[in-house]
Amino acid sequence: MSARRQGGGGTGPGGTGAPRGAWRLLRDDGAGAAAGLALDEALLAGYARGEPDRPPTLRLYSYRSHCALIGRYQNLAAEVDLGECERTGTQVSRRPTGGGAIIMGAGQLGVAWAGRAPAGQRPREIIESLSAGVTAGLARLGIAASFRGKNDLEAGGRKIAGLGLYVDGAGGMLFHASVLAGLDVGFMLRVLRIPAAKLAGKAAAAVAGRVTTVTELTGAEHTAATIRDAIAAGFAEAFGAGLAPGEPSPAERDLAARLAAERYANPAWLHERSMSADGSGSAAIRTPAGLARVYLTTHGDLIKSALVVGDFNELPHALAELESALRWRRLDEATVTGAVARSGAAGALGVPGPALAAAILAAGRQAGERATAAPARSAGSCYFPEPARSAT
Amino acid sequence: MVNGFPVATDRLYHPATHMWVAISGGIARIGLDALGIETSGALAQLSVPAPGAEVTAGRPFGQLEAAKFVGPLVSPVSGTLVAVNEAVLADPGLAERDPYGAGWLAEVALAEPDGARPGLLAGREEITRWFAAAVDDYRARGVLAE
Repeated sequence: MSARRQGGGGTGPGGTGAPRGAWRLLRDDGAGAAAGLALDEALLAGYARGEPDRPPTLRLYSYRSHCALIGRYQNLAAEVDLGECERTGTQVSRRPTGGGAIIMGAGQLGVAWAGRAPAGQRPREIIESLSAGVTAGLARLGIAASFRGKNDLEAGGRKIAGLGLYVDGAGGMLFHASVLAGLDVGFMLRVLRIPAAKLAGKAAAAVAGRVTTVTELTGAEHTAATIRDAIAAGFAEAFGAGLAPGEPSPAERDLAARLAAERYANPAWLHERSMSADGSGSAAIRTPAGLARVYLTTHGDLIKSALVVGDFNELPHALAELESALRWRRLDEATVTGAVARSGAAGALGVPGPALAAAILAAGRQAGERATAAPARSAGSCYFPEPARSAT
Repeated sequence: MVNGFPVATDRLYHPATHMWVAISGGIARIGLDALGIETSGALAQLSVPAPGAEVTAGRPFGQLEAAKFVGPLVSPVSGTLVAVNEAVLADPGLAERDPYGAGWLAEVALAEPDGARPGLLAGREEITRWFAAAVDDYRARGVLAE
C-alpha cells in the first residue's frame, strides 16, 4: 500500500479502508516501560471487529529516561543487563511487536499508530507504508530517510528508526516506530548486552558507524519533544490526514492500567522464554587490507544481527548493505550467498564472494553451537551484536 | 511451482490468511502456505495451544512471530486440536523449508467432518489461478523479498 495513494481527505493508510475523518493525535511524555506499552495496546480495543468504524489514532510519546524494551520473542536476560538496569533505574518490558532490544527515553520518540488491520495487505507492505509518515516527518527536519531491508529506516546508510507491527486477535493493528532524536551510545552499551570491552574499545565507534540520530544529522540538539511536531506533520502529509489532538478515553485508561499490571509489568511476561536459543559467533576473513571479522547473533537459525569489523576509516556502504540484508533472515547458504552478491560487499573488502559467504556461514555455525551449549547467554541488540569471546 | 513459489494443489486454501487445510478421515491438518510465510518475514516463532483446545473457523488460534511482525494465526476450520507439530514450534524455519509437508502446524478433529467449507478454495485449477494472481499482485506491490 502506498501512503500517498489515497490522496487527501483523511482516509487511513492507502488501502487500509480506515474511515475518513481526522485522526486522533495523542501526545505524552515520561511513560513508564509497562504503562507506555500498555496504553498502546489499550488503544487497539477501539478497532476490534464489531466496533464502530473510527479513524486511526496516532500517539507520539516518550518514555521516562530510561526504559529498555525487548522484542516480542526475545529472552530478557539475554538482551538486557538486568543488574545495570537496577543500578541505573532503567525499567524493562517486552513489546508486543517484533524486533530487537532498544533503549527509550527523552531522546527517542515513540510512535504508535493504532487502527483496524487492513484486509488484503501483508505485513511487509503495511510496515513500509506506515513508515512513510516517519520518513515525511524526518524530511521536514531536513533528513532524507528511506526504508531499508524491509526492517528499519535509514539515513545516510545508518539506522535512524526501528519499526514493528502487531495485529491482535480481534483485528486491531499497532504500528510501532522508535525514532532516534538522540542516543547516548555509552549508556546503551552498558544496559543492553553489548560488551564493548571485547572490541577493544571500538564498540562505540562501531555503533556510531551504523546508527545515527536527528541531533547528529542536523547539528542541533534534539529530543523526542522537539521532533514530535515534525513527525506529526509528516503523518498528516503522507496520509492526507487531519490530526485532532485528543486524550485516551477513560475506558482506554482503565484497560491500560489492567494491561500494565497483568501483562507488561508481570514477571511471567517479562521473563517469557522463546523455544529458540540465542547465540553469537564470529569468523575471520583475510582481506588485502588485513584481517576482517564477521560477527553474527542468531535466534534459532534466524540472523538477528550481523557486523563486519575491519580497519575501516568509514564503514563501506556495501558492508552496511550486507549487514542490513542479513538481519532477520534465515541463516542458510542460499540466503547468505544472495545477500553477499547483491550487496557488493565482497568487492568492497577485496575478497571473493564465496569466501565472504563462507565466513558468514562459519560465524553462524559457531553461533548455533554456542546457543546449544548455553541457550541463555548474551546475544546482542538490534544495534550491535556481541562479539565472540575468542578468535575463531 | 507457480510463478516461482511452491503450492500443493491436493488440499484447500483460505486465500486471505494463506492457511492450507488437508482433510483426511475427519482430521484436518493445517499449515501456512509459502506465500503467506514469504510475505510475513522470516519466522521467529510459532505459538499454538495444546491439543484439546477448541478452534473456530475465522478466529485466531495461535500467533505467528516474524522478524518485525507479530500477528494471529487464524484457523480455517472449526473443531478440536488433536495434535500440534512440535518440530515446527521448535524450528519455525521448517515451515519455510517445507510448508506443505514437515512444516504443518496442527491437526484438528473437525466439528463437522462432512460440512461445507465456505471461503476455502479447492481444486487444482482454482488454486493455481488464485495463487498465480496473488504472486503477481504481491510482486507488483513490492511485497516479495526477491
